[in-house]
Amino acid sequence: MSRRRVHQLKVDWPNCTGRGVCHGVLPELIDLDPWGYPIITGPVTEELLPLAREAVRMCPQLALRLTSTP
Amino acid sequence: MNAVASPIPVPVQIEVQPGPGLLADVGSGPSLAAHRSRYGVLSTPDLSALLSLIEGAGIRGRGGAAFPFATKLRLSASGRVRPYLVINLSESEPASAKDAALALTRPHLVLDGAAATAAALGAKEAHLALPGKRPEVVTAVRRAVAEREDRVRWVTHVGDARFVAGQSRAVLELLAGRPNKPVTAWDPEAKSGHKGRPTLLSNAETWAQVGRLVLVGAQAYAATGSGGEPGTTLLTLNRTGTVPRVIEVAFGTPWSAALPPAWHGGRYLIGGFHGVWADWTMLDSLRVSANDMRAANLPLGAGAVWALHEDQCPVVATSEVVGYLAAESSGRCGPCLNGLPALAAALHGVRTGAAGPTEVGRLARLVAGRGACAHPDGTVRLVDSLFRTFAAEVHAHTSRVCLVGQREPV
Repeated sequence: MSRRRVHQLKVDWPNCTGRGVCHGVLPELIDLDPWGYPIITGPVTEELLPLAREAVRMCPQLALRLTSTP
Repeated sequence: MNAVASPIPVPVQIEVQPGPGLLADVGSGPSLAAHRSRYGVLSTPDLSALLSLIEGAGIRGRGGAAFPFATKLRLSASGRVRPYLVINLSESEPASAKDAALALTRPHLVLDGAAATAAALGAKEAHLALPGKRPEVVTAVRRAVAEREDRVRWVTHVGDARFVAGQSRAVLELLAGRPNKPVTAWDPEAKSGHKGRPTLLSNAETWAQVGRLVLVGAQAYAATGSGGEPGTTLLTLNRTGTVPRVIEVAFGTPWSAALPPAWHGGRYLIGGFHGVWADWTMLDSLRVSANDMRAANLPLGAGAVWALHEDQCPVVATSEVVGYLAAESSGRCGPCLNGLPALAAALHGVRTGAAGPTEVGRLARLVAGRGACAHPDGTVRLVDSLFRTFAAEVHAHTSRVCLVGQREPV
């Protein structure tokens, strides 16, 4: 029995400085709050996975992670 | 960040009432000699015996999260390296004084719990996180540690005075010599904690319950409490203008018996500043039980209770607490740093009638779940419960009427 892995973006809050780069890369899944900090709006779908990886890579603070649960 | 006074100050004096378990015979004093003459020498069960004792007694963490201790113990034992132990005596919540009470009256129950567990796990170091704002506790714990001769090495650390200093990851930061502030936990500390090793971190009362269980055995431990929940719990009872009282209550005791009759019929904050409001109708139908209270959406948390006076308004009290909590953010997580002061201001607007409740709700949803620790979530839980339990009082305030008749300022 095979189950699809669920991918989720997680913010390392103490390291996040609210630069908003992640929102620029992936507005489909990342909103910004009034202070410029990310709001993750849902799990990462298969088609958005490459962009989610890009958002993680682009974060200047390395404060975004992609986790997956089997 | 400017300091804001806590509506319940950190106590300089506490009243400790004798109880049926941990606080039995507190008059005999905190010395190791008195402790050994009451309980005898500490036997050290092996890991499987300790696990079955703890599972039988159903001991859950008493720091607020009520996580099953046996699960943590098993996880910390499952690695390939020696785990560390941490006894969290930080008690950075001003409304709680139970860990202070244990440090001052029963420190060797706490230390025996940790020593027995360290022996079962083969742990060599047990770290004690002590409260920066309670110097008498620091002195008492150091004195108790100096009396002992254990295989485990005791290491003491004194934390900051900040509200979030006692959060488990903030405590691990303190141990590592970094600022005593929360960081993101990617794994449970029982899997990867101090120096990346499995770390069994628990609150002082949890360790004291383990200590008493090992010392008296399962049968005597279960002689108090109810069938489903053996044993006792500590509560800190706060009432503005009086010395906080630490009491020990057998699980299953009705709240009407646990609280002084003069306090019946009022409004209560259950579980401290990250807790939940209850009125007497809710509380009078419940027992002091971790399970029942959780099911009633009134979790005991760390057991801190604030019983308001008749003329104290829960809207004003919540506004004061949220103002304090906002200023106690460690300032590391953007949503908490920016969102809690905004939430406090919006709630203050409701309190003075300058604003409606909509903005409070919007900000609460915005900060919830967005931080390294539970500080924003706990603050939101408190605000939500005010709106749920005291909707009429909140509504009246938005029309500049206080149903309780409290005169500003508190």
